[in-house]
This record gives sequence, C-alpha cells and structure tokens, in this order.
Amino acid sequence: MNGDWFLSWISGAILYAAPLLYPTVGEVLGQRTGMVNLGLEGLMLLGASTSFALSVRLGNPWVAVFLGAGVGLLANLIYAFLVVKRNASQLATGLALMFFGLGVSALLGKPYVGQMAAALPKYPLLGPRSLLFRYDLLVYVAFLLAALAWVFLFRTRWGLQLRAVGENPAHAYAAGISPARVRLAAACVVGFLAGLGGAQLALGVTQTWSEGMTAGRGFIAIALVIFSRWNPLRAIVGAILFGGAVVLQLQLQARGIGISPFFLDMFPYVLTLFVLLLWGRGVRHTAPASLGRVYFGTEERGG
Amino acid sequence: MKRVVAVLLATLVGSVAAVAQQPCLVVGMIIGGTKDDAGYNQSQYEALMALKDKMPCVKILFAENVPEGDAEAVLENMIAQGAKLLFPAGFGYMFPALNLAKRYPDVVFMHPGGYMLAANFGTYFSNVQFAYYVLGVAAGLMTKTNKIGFIGGLPVAFVLGNCNAFHLGARAVNPNVETVFVVTGTWLDRAKEVAATQALLQQGCDVIGSHLDSPIAVAQTVEAAGAFFVGYPSLAVQKFAPNAWVSGLGLTWGDFFVDIAQQVLNKTWKSAHIRKGLEAGFITLGEFGPRVPEEVKAKVLEYAELLKAGKIEPFAGPIYDQAGNLKIAAGEAWGALDMGKFDWLVQGITGSPK
Amino acid sequence: MDKNRLAAGSFRLLLHVVLIVGVFALFLWANGKDPIQAVRDTVRINLLQWRGLWGVMVRMAPLLLTALAAAFPFRAGLINVGGEGQFFLGALLGTWAALNVPGLPQWITVPIVLLAGAVGGGLWGWIPGLLRARGWVNETISTLLLNYLAPLIVGYFVFGPWRAPELAIYPQTPEFPDVARLPALGTTRLHVGFFIGLLFLFAYWFFIHKTRWGLEMRSVGGNPEASRRLGVPVSRWVVLAMVLGGAMAGLAGIAEVAAVHYRLKLAISPGYGFMGFLVNWLAGSNPVGIVLMSFVVALIASGGFTLQITQRIPYAAVNVLLALILFVVLAKPASGILAKSLARRWKA
Repeated sequence: MNGDWFLSWISGAILYAAPLLYPTVGEVLGQRTGMVNLGLEGLMLLGASTSFALSVRLGNPWVAVFLGAGVGLLANLIYAFLVVKRNASQLATGLALMFFGLGVSALLGKPYVGQMAAALPKYPLLGPRSLLFRYDLLVYVAFLLAALAWVFLFRTRWGLQLRAVGENPAHAYAAGISPARVRLAAACVVGFLAGLGGAQLALGVTQTWSEGMTAGRGFIAIALVIFSRWNPLRAIVGAILFGGAVVLQLQLQARGIGISPFFLDMFPYVLTLFVLLLWGRGVRHTAPASLGRVYFGTEERGG
Repeated sequence: MKRVVAVLLATLVGSVAAVAQQPCLVVGMIIGGTKDDAGYNQSQYEALMALKDKMPCVKILFAENVPEGDAEAVLENMIAQGAKLLFPAGFGYMFPALNLAKRYPDVVFMHPGGYMLAANFGTYFSNVQFAYYVLGVAAGLMTKTNKIGFIGGLPVAFVLGNCNAFHLGARAVNPNVETVFVVTGTWLDRAKEVAATQALLQQGCDVIGSHLDSPIAVAQTVEAAGAFFVGYPSLAVQKFAPNAWVSGLGLTWGDFFVDIAQQVLNKTWKSAHIRKGLEAGFITLGEFGPRVPEEVKAKVLEYAELLKAGKIEPFAGPIYDQAGNLKIAAGEAWGALDMGKFDWLVQGITGSPK
Repeated sequence: MDKNRLAAGSFRLLLHVVLIVGVFALFLWANGKDPIQAVRDTVRINLLQWRGLWGVMVRMAPLLLTALAAAFPFRAGLINVGGEGQFFLGALLGTWAALNVPGLPQWITVPIVLLAGAVGGGLWGWIPGLLRARGWVNETISTLLLNYLAPLIVGYFVFGPWRAPELAIYPQTPEFPDVARLPALGTTRLHVGFFIGLLFLFAYWFFIHKTRWGLEMRSVGGNPEASRRLGVPVSRWVVLAMVLGGAMAGLAGIAEVAAVHYRLKLAISPGYGFMGFLVNWLAGSNPVGIVLMSFVVALIASGGFTLQITQRIPYAAVNVLLALILFVVLAKPASGILAKSLARRWKA
C-alpha cells in the first residue's frame, strides 16, 4: 500500500513537472547568456492557444504542437529585437511580452474555447490498464531535453561560449564571440521551449484551452531557474519537487489529512529563498554575472 | 393613457422607418471570467442571450473579465448608457453593486447568490445543492467501488453544500458509499484539476462530481480513465466525457431573466431573494449517458420528481458532521437560504472543509 | 539646446502615439470594428463625463504609489519588481489595524491604518533590501519570489483566522468600520488615496532633489564604490530605498482596500504592482512622468471596458494595446528625453 502511494505520487509529480520543465530549461539557457525574460507566461499562453487552435483546425496534434512552439519562438523575437538590438530594459520588455501574450492568446483562442482538439497520444509505461505513468511523448522528452541541455551547456564548446557571454559580454566579444548572435539564438530557444511547454500543457495535460490557463506557470518557471541555480539537471529536481508538492497536497486531502492549501503552495517559494540564502555568496558565482544588464558593446549598465 | 400613446407612436414610427429604434429596456451584465467557459460564466451569458432572443426590443450591454475593484466603474458606465436593469453576475460584485444601488434608486440590480437586499437590489440563484442530491443518487447507483469523488475550487459554503448533497444522495440509495472531497485552491487551473482528478481516481473513486468554473479538464481525465462523470454547472461539458457521462446539471435562467425584464418594464418588480430549483427550470437535469442502465435512469428520475414535488428534503436531520457532531437535528431541515451556512462536511466524507 | 531637445522629444512622442494608435486602429478595423468610433467612445465616456474621469482617477491612485515603489529603489540603483507582493502585505497589515483599532475618530484611525499598510509593504521591501545589502541575494530575484508568497499569506488569513463568519460563501474579512475607511470626495468615487499618491510624488521629488539624503541615495545609485569611499553608508541606503519603495506599494494596497473594497480578500489587485513598475519605467522615475503615464495606463484600462460595452471589443485587446505601447517605447530608448526635458522645465 505504501509503495502504491509513492508510485501514484511520483506519477502525478512527473506529469505536473513536464510543462514546467520546458520553459525552465529554456530560461536557464537564456539567463546563462545574461537575459532575464519575465514574459515566459505570455509565451506559454501563446503556445497553448495557437497549438490548441491548430489542433482543432488540422486534426494533427504533432503538427499543432510544433507550430505552437514556433509561434512562441516568433513572439520571443520581439523580445530579442528589443533587448539585443535596441538595448531595451529586459524586465520591462519581459513584462510587456507577458501582456502581449496574455492579450493575443485570448483573442486568437476565443473561437476555440469549449472546443475539442485532437490530443497527444499517451504511451503508458505500466501497460494500458494502469492509470499510473500514462504520459504523452513530450513528457518523456522534457526530461531528456533537460539532460541534453546540461551536456550542451557544460560539455560543449558552444555551451562554453554561451556561458562566456553571460559572464562577461565584453570579454566574450574580445575572444571573438558575438554576444548579440549568441543571445539571439538563445532567445529563439527560450521562445520555442516556452511555447512547447504551453502546447504540451494544452494538448497533453488539460486538452482544453481557456484564457490565462497557464495560471502563473511562466512565473513559477523563473523561480525554478533560480532554484536550480542555472543548472538544467537541478531544474529537473526543482520541477519534480514543485509538482510533487502540489500533488502531495491533493493526495493528502484525498486521504483526509487537511493542510491549508496556501501553506503547501508556499513551500516551493520558501524553499527557493532558503536555497538562495544557504548558498549565500556562492550564488554570485553560479549566477551569470551580466544577468539583467544591458550590453552596449563596450560598457554595461543596469537596466 | 400615456403608455397607449407611446405605444401608438412607437408603432407608427416603427412602421414608417425602422431606423433609430429606441430599445424598450437597456440591460447590462458583467462577469468575472469569459463568456464561453462551458461553465458558470457561460450559463449567465446564455441566460442574457436568451433574454435578447425572447425580447428583441431589449438592448444588451455586456462586459467580461471585470475585476472586482473595477465593477463599480463598469456598472456605472452602463448606467450612463441608459441601463435600467443590471446583472452583476459574480459573487464578488455584491458590495460594489449595493453601493451603486444606493446612488441609483431607479436602476434595478439582480445579483446571483447574494445574501443582502435593498429596495432596488434583489438576488437570484438556483437551488443547486438540492439538485445535486439527484446526481448523488445517480452516483450511488453507478459506483462499483462504493467510493465517489468530488472536486471543489475553493472550500466555500456552496461547494461544501454540493459535496454534502452529492454524498447524501448517494447514501440514500447505497448506504455503503464513501465520498472523497478535494479542493484545488483556485477556480481555474486546469492542470491542477487534472492532478486532483487523478488523485481521486487512484484512491479508487469511480464516479466524479465537481464544482469548478468549468470542469472540462476533469471530464476528459475521467473519460480517459474509463470511470463515470457527472457535470455541473453547464450541460455543455457532456461532449467532453461522452462515455463517462452519467448525467449533469445546467444553470438555466433564460426564462427567469425574461420575467424579471418584464417586471421591470411593468414596474411590478419587487426586491426579494429568489431561490428556485428543478421545478421552476432554474436548473436542468441533463440527459443520461450511454452506460447508464434503464433501472438507474428510472430511479434517478423518480428522485428528481419527488424533489420537484417537495416530497423529499435532502437536508433533513439528523445529519452529523465528520467529527460526529449533530449539525441538523431530527425533525429539522435546511432550506435554500441555509446553503450559505455550510462550513462542515457530512459524516462519511473524507476531506477537509477548511 | 533644451528647447530643441524638447521639440525633438515631443516630435518622437507624437510619432510614437501616431504609430501605436495607427497599428491598433488597423487591428480594430481588421476585426470589423470602427476605430474612429472607438476613440470617440473612449474620450466621450472616460474624459468628457465627470463620472468617467473620476473612474480613471480612481484607477490611477494605486498606480501612482506602486510606480513610486519602483522609483525609490531605482534611484539607489536597485530594481524592485516586488510591488505586487508589497501591495498585498500592505493590505494585510493595514487590514489588521483597521479591524483592531478601538473606537477612535476617523481622523486618527485612517492615518493609523495607512501607517500599518506602509509598515507591511516596507517590511516586504526590507527583506530583499537586507539580502541585497549583505550581498546574499540579488533584489530582482528575491522581490520576484516574494511576490508569490504575499498573496498566499493573504489567502491563509482570509480563508482562515480572519474569515468573516457571515461570508462562508466567499471568504473575506469582516467589513472595515466606517472610521477606518478612506473618505471620498463628495458623492463621487474619487477617494483620498489619489491625493495621497500626489502628495507622496511631491515628497519623492523633494526628497530626491532637494535634500542631502536624496543626493546620497542617488550617489549610491550612480556609483556605489565612489560613494563608499566618500563615507556614504551604502548598505544602509540600499536597505532604506527598498523599505521606502515597499512602503509606497503597501500604502497603495491598504488605500485600495480601505477606499474601494472595505474588506480584505484575494481579488484586490489586477496586477497593480507590475503595472506600477512599467509606469515608473515609462516615466523614467520622474514624478510628472509618473502622473502622465499612470493616467495613460488608467485611461486605457477604463477605455477597455468602454469599448467592450459599446463596440464589443474583447477586453484582451487592452493587453495587446498596452503591450504595443510598451514595445514601441522600448524600441526607442531615446524617448526618455521627453520625460527628462519635462523634468528640466519642472525644475526651472
């Protein structure tokens, strides 16, 4: 019975974690180049809304998921243009992007509220009879992707270049790396993965579209990036912990153990703050040094 | 006399040219969500549209996604455009609407579910808890595991009341039923609703009811697991659980809105708490799903008829709470206006009312 | 020189306005709406009628203060994205005061309630300030995290110990006593909170530009290393700037509750903290700019409801319009010039 309980907990936690993991891994890469994107929520919504609409229209969830992710990428090009080309404030641009995604996804998705779309097929790990571990392919891919992102970031030359830009764009420039180009590429990845996360949420998990349906997951992803201290493998741990806290709270309720939902919801954030405090000065070494700052080619300044 | 002249004039003008037709009444509505959520907001909006269909002379003003802090301004804006009947159709709009009602004594306000009245401020709602009892009967007959589940958005009185009714209805036909109650902590987080549904299914619950803004995600999750589902607050959700569907309840206020508009026009409207149920069409029992046996259908319809005729009292004592305290004494019964008093769950329900 | 820059700035601003309005009009037109009528409706109902104008000003009130929540720290070189959380904490502590202050007259109770709100917000600003001053956690990160916590804490109290028993259907605290409410102007909805916002904008300007403290704070923002060498207590200013900012957002939170809702509940902010951050950013932390920009944002929000009613344009279009404005302004960082030249004129 106890083993059963653990299996159903971990099964729920993984399903909850996957759509968080996509934007988190994307944002880890983005922040490693020195860009904070507060617009993840908007990008996820765009991915969710367009992929759902396209799945209704085309009847093929796979095409819809990837086009939805592509829309996330396109929308994040606005961010890339403003931040990289026009040296705009990252935080203000991110918030603007959030409002943009919120508005556009609602307008685009309006005709599809309450409609049915072709959902992503499920591949149950424990056979077709079991309710546990029934995931669509993108759930498995999310974890694989996080691992690949780690390899990319810490074991390849490109990853090194990417981190160099985040640490000190001027030095990277001097070493022959174009910070602008690296950041543009990273922004594309951020947009694509955030869109993919939203699309997986809409077509894999909830199988519906409703306005604002990501319910703050874009912001949670930013907290997870910080929790993971910019490491994609730790992001897996963070996402599972977060999903696990939510699922645990629901399961405890179903077993008659009532804890104020507000208390358990606080847990991931308090834990994140605690982790940051615990590492204290150490964090400054793992956090990309140029994070959030505008790079003007020769000098940096706050923004 | 004046009115006769006005009507004559109106007919004359209307027949001469169909331009610049004066509306007979301007009706406004604000809701907190979107109008097509296959749930609570949609049911309000559909009633408004039904009013528009049945009384084409009415002019409709409508706004969605109105935050509670903005409600007063938006409603006032509608009054400025001539609205004489307003539906602030969200529970949180009660106080802002009451403020306005004081300042605009010639405008009628109808609020869903509120507990306060003013000379020009009345309330309406369906007796959902009583109707939910019928869904409980259906669940009690359909369950094979003798375990049914209920998902609420927030642990508030109406939600607890629905869960209690669901449980009591099931117990009425199947004394072995246990009910498991879970809240998501928010009215709309589809992914969390999926997780909550799975938690219930893994506990062995095989009939799932809910009280959320819109239970689409719950319906689809239950459908995929092959269990049973009852729908509320809109029957539009049936198509998301075609095989799991047992039955459901839809909030249906279209005819009532027409009545109210007529009363306002005839100046016969009076402020009151209006609570009606299945018998008055304020709430509608949906059709049965394909897996529901005939004898179950007959039994459920029988209970529905008894309820309509007032022959059963779902909340008649003795009723005990989870800790075994007597909450409703024998010989006592809670009525429609007591539904805001639930802060406890009936014995036999697992879950927390806080 | 100044005049030329002002002219150039005005021209740019005009260009931006034309561009934004043009794009949005095109968007409306593409959706089968009448853009000219839309503008006409917005202006007629929200600017030319007193009632509408009061509505716009009521919506401005929290924005003035949440913009200041970002402005104070900004002057000390800090980025406070935590206005939303500080707004909630201010509402929480202010509510505690409002429900517990014994029967005193309104002119004493209201200041106590407002002070409690400011303390609550200030406390929520003090934490990231301290963490930053000690060099432990970047204030952008910590304020973001604290934003999530604040509404959950409010939720705990509203659903738990403070829940009004008669409101089992919709958890919120009991009603504020009359003496704890912010008075409104005559019979209008325009409440004192708006004027408190203006007052603090003036105080902000005076503090930053006319006092030695303001000079010290700005020097910390300009060059902390040099300031430290000159004997300016840098860490103390970092903490203080965050506390001041937090207090402003806290004040906004309790003012909104005590003037509009009269009871604490979860639905008190449609993102005022974040909008205030954007307003301050658009205004370049300039007080006159903050008034102008919060007016623009409030007008757009009010206009959104107007257009929903008169033209059946979905409210989501407002978010798109807001984003378009920000994008255009963000694309041309030079537009800060207008704010600067206005500031210069203001000083002269």
